[in-house]
Amino acid sequence: MTSIVSVQGLTKVFPGGLQALKGIDLEIEEGEVLSLLGPNGAGKTTLISIICGLTTASGGRVTVGGHDIARDFRAARELIGLVPQELHVESYEKVINTVRFTRGLFGKKPDDALIERILRDLTLWDKRDEKILALSGGMKRRVMIAKALAHEPRVLFLDEPTAGVDVELRQSMWQVMRKLKERGVTIILTTHYIEEAEAMADRVGVINHGELLLVEKTGQLMTRMGRKTLTVELAAPVSDLPETLARRGVTLGEDGSSLVYTYDTAAKQTGITDLLADIREAGLHLADLRTTQSSLEDIFVGLVTGSTQ
Amino acid sequence: MNLHAIRAIYLFEMARTFRTIWQSVVSPVISTSLYFVVFGAAIGSRIETVEGVSYGAFIVPGLIMLTVLQQSVTNAAFGIYFPKFVGTIYEILSAPVTVVEIVIGYVGAAATKALMIGLIILGTANLFVDLPIAHPVWMLAFLVMTTFSFAMLGFILGIWAKNFEQLNLVPMLVITPLVFLGGSFYSISMLPPVWQSITLFNPVVYLISGFRWSFFGMADVPVAASLAAIALFAGLCLVAIWAIFRTGWRLRS
Ligand SMILES: Nc1ncnc2c1ncn2[C@@H]1O[C@H](COP(=O)(O)OP(=O)(O)O)[C@@H](O)[C@H]1O
Ligand SMILES: [Mg+2]
Repeated sequence: MTSIVSVQGLTKVFPGGLQALKGIDLEIEEGEVLSLLGPNGAGKTTLISIICGLTTASGGRVTVGGHDIARDFRAARELIGLVPQELHVESYEKVINTVRFTRGLFGKKPDDALIERILRDLTLWDKRDEKILALSGGMKRRVMIAKALAHEPRVLFLDEPTAGVDVELRQSMWQVMRKLKERGVTIILTTHYIEEAEAMADRVGVINHGELLLVEKTGQLMTRMGRKTLTVELAAPVSDLPETLARRGVTLGEDGSSLVYTYDTAAKQTGITDLLADIREAGLHLADLRTTQSSLEDIFVGLVTGSTQ
Repeated sequence: MNLHAIRAIYLFEMARTFRTIWQSVVSPVISTSLYFVVFGAAIGSRIETVEGVSYGAFIVPGLIMLTVLQQSVTNAAFGIYFPKFVGTIYEILSAPVTVVEIVIGYVGAAATKALMIGLIILGTANLFVDLPIAHPVWMLAFLVMTTFSFAMLGFILGIWAKNFEQLNLVPMLVITPLVFLGGSFYSISMLPPVWQSITLFNPVVYLISGFRWSFFGMADVPVAASLAAIALFAGLCLVAIWAIFRTGWRLRS
């Protein structure tokens, strides 16, 4: 396991006195997709901006590919591609020219074949000679992604890439990200959409109030923090919940036709066997059984409200 | 040195310039012609010669300097203000480039454009008056040094400015009076002694004097003083720019 980005004790206090980052420690592995989740104002953009050189840190240390971002900024930045949260484009410039510009700016010699491939991947090739101001918002965001990829970065930061884009575009952006991941590009993605993190990320980091609450493998997090709900459909509805079941924390579903039981997936004893026995003893007949896993969203909301209190 | 970056910035800026090249060239050519008509013809008919040079020819170096200084400052100021304004500056700030590379790219492009316009005005002036150029190489050298150093000033201005008003204000309020009072249209020796001394605090005096010397072989201040003044000015600007990027003033939060 080699980290390509290493963040140690990173703090940021803005001139007004607001502490946006309170000692972030984070190791990002080469080739992984890491999703940073957090509510508005959590510090996600600040963290990314410091790593990419847009904001200066107040304390701590960051290395990218082993290069310190302050002392050895040239080597560090060559490895990084950034798609910022806001749309910033040169409206009067042609698409292909701005992409070529970025490649040069990052110190790479012109490579039209590569730029063609990037533009084709992002379905921008047909628009290459159009002025950016003629493009839709979603297309502009693709132009920014194309620019970020133009110098073949090994680490790509995407700050809310799919905020405010339609479902179709979001799907195609996910496809682009998967392709990049296949090529071994490390991707750090901030998002509001839990489903995006769930679909894309190998690991999830949760930030709130400038603190990294946890970083964990997406699947592991869901089993560790996740809860399951068992719904038992009854053959015939009941009006009252038997006392033995109520004691177990079972609740009666809508119109009395089902029983609902929530349990911790990480617990050694889920109590399901006993529950089923009690149901039988109460003389109830089962029509069907169904379990559902709580989503990352539930976990996230739980974590964030927990840390606020 | 990140030569690809310098080239990318320079070419990008030049492309921006060429998109509006007619505006940038036509207006200085017209206004210079107007100056010739007003100053050269109207006043020239009364003054005739200054230190042995026909008044029409005498004002040419000052006129060129007037436009070249304004152009250098505004081009460079807009060049860096614009990405700040639309937000694309994020790319420059996150790129593996040093201050020197950024400055060569932006300031180089702004200076190139100002230099081109200066040469066009020189050509236009040639249509109106007989223009001897005593030291053509020095003439070019003065133009190049002037455009670069004032483009650096403009670059600082572009980073400092928070809105378009501020961006326009400095060239209007500072550069134009300095050039007019810097001996563009008269020889310093024509002023009363007190003003002759005060004028020496105006940096533009040294530019125009040196530049005029390259045409007519005569100067208000020694040529070496002119060169030293430009070098000092350019050095100060460079230090200021270095400090700006070092501290991130008005660039990084
Ligand atoms: N330039 C700035 N000056 C002062 N405060 C800022 C600045 N940028 C961000 N902040 C504050 O820092 C906190 C974190 O912001 P940000 O990193 O943008 O959060 P996120 O991207 O997670 O929504 C917020 O409270 C925000 O208001
Ligand atoms: Mg943000």
